[in-house]
Amino acid sequence: MKLECIIDSKSLTLNVNSTKPLSLILIEDVGIKSMLSHCQGKACGNCIVLVNDVATLSCIVPAFRLKDAKIRTFETFQRTRLCRDIERAYRVNGNKPCPDCYASKTLLIESIVTELMAHTQSREEGIVDEAMILQELNLNTCPCMDKTELLGITIQAFEYRRRRRGSN
Amino acid sequence: MDPTRSPLIHNPRTLNELSLLFQRIEDPILWAGGTYLMSQKEYYPSTSNHHIIDLGSIEELKRISRTDRYLEIGVMVTASSLLSGGKLVLPTILKEALGSLISQITRRQITIGGSVCEPESRLAFSTALSVLDAQAELRQWEDGRFSATWVPVNRLYNKDGSLISRSSPYVLTKIRIGLEWGDFQRFVWIDNAIRDPETAVLVAFQATRTQTTITHARFSASFPKRAFYLANEVSNQLAGLSLPVHPDEVNTISYELMHDLQNRHDTISEFQAERTRRVFESFLHELNTHALSY
Repeated sequence: MKLECIIDSKSLTLNVNSTKPLSLILIEDVGIKSMLSHCQGKACGNCIVLVNDVATLSCIVPAFRLKDAKIRTFETFQRTRLCRDIERAYRVNGNKPCPDCYASKTLLIESIVTELMAHTQSREEGIVDEAMILQELNLNTCPCMDKTELLGITIQAFEYRRRRRGSN
Repeated sequence: MDPTRSPLIHNPRTLNELSLLFQRIEDPILWAGGTYLMSQKEYYPSTSNHHIIDLGSIEELKRISRTDRYLEIGVMVTASSLLSGGKLVLPTILKEALGSLISQITRRQITIGGSVCEPESRLAFSTALSVLDAQAELRQWEDGRFSATWVPVNRLYNKDGSLISRSSPYVLTKIRIGLEWGDFQRFVWIDNAIRDPETAVLVAFQATRTQTTITHARFSASFPKRAFYLANEVSNQLAGLSLPVHPDEVNTISYELMHDLQNRHDTISEFQAERTRRVFESFLHELNTHALSY
């Protein structure tokens, strides 16, 4: 099938099998270097991308569901201010994910922070559901970091995002 | 490199269009969220020539409606939108079951219909639905037209948890849940059903009580890829029981449940049976605690 979509701000027309998973399209047809694994839908959590600004596991999205979709991979996300909040949280906590899962964990944290921001009405509201965050973080199965450490990083990134929204 | 031919994808917009496709296409693959289909080894690349019918454009299947007596959920409603849209009307047990589905990212993609029809019954939704006496609307394609029937969710499955096959093609369109449910509801899942199916246990329980008596109870458990269990006898035994239940009786009933489970399902491990028994026992102890603290 002919697939027309926008990947990392570039309009592309690709000729792909209609059931091909997005993760394989990004690896084989587009050559995205941050995409390292294809787990065949086993939910390893290492293939997260943003589809129409929503975090999605790219191994469970087929080509026929991507018509006119706007896909953003880590390669363009890392150049945004949003990514800097998370990188700063990594620095402050003195640890960061391994190169294999860095892109996915960062996008996963971004999706959690976005979700938390959507439920935070004012700058003062600071209650975070740690159990929910831990459950979300479990989506990525790479054991390179302790979950409590990742929890700390996520809360820290959320704090930076809230402060920035408050100052805007 | 695409070694195989692209399967044809059809996007019906209404159930009428879907019925026309049923007329034309033999043995199509119905595509809801796709999370199960895409996790299969043989999914891609595949040599299958089956046409795919993508149900994602049928608006009728994406509705949640409420009447005085029922809550009706279209099968293309995603777990995440049901959780947010139905927050005020959903029973706790269903919210917990939906919340147990890995993460928000996958919940956005998993549909209600997909989680009910998914053949290995590894997801939690059907376990919770079966204790709520939920019904599923099936539109069966017979003699050139669709005929609708309502079937209790627990009757959709064989005892190993796989979907009962039917003589003619059908599509699941709605799930209906009554609005009267028990005042004690619990949903417990141990281990990840997708990643650790050998040890995972999903348990749902609901009971209606007066101050000192259980008037109605239902218990269901599922074991990914192995068994789907609805404890009818034990549920009958619990109805009418006075609270608090004596610890010896709790012990007896829980072992009876375990034996019944093992007799009916020899595919599950002793470890899973023991896990189920202990979870069930904990529910009875919790009911006792509530009764004693009145």
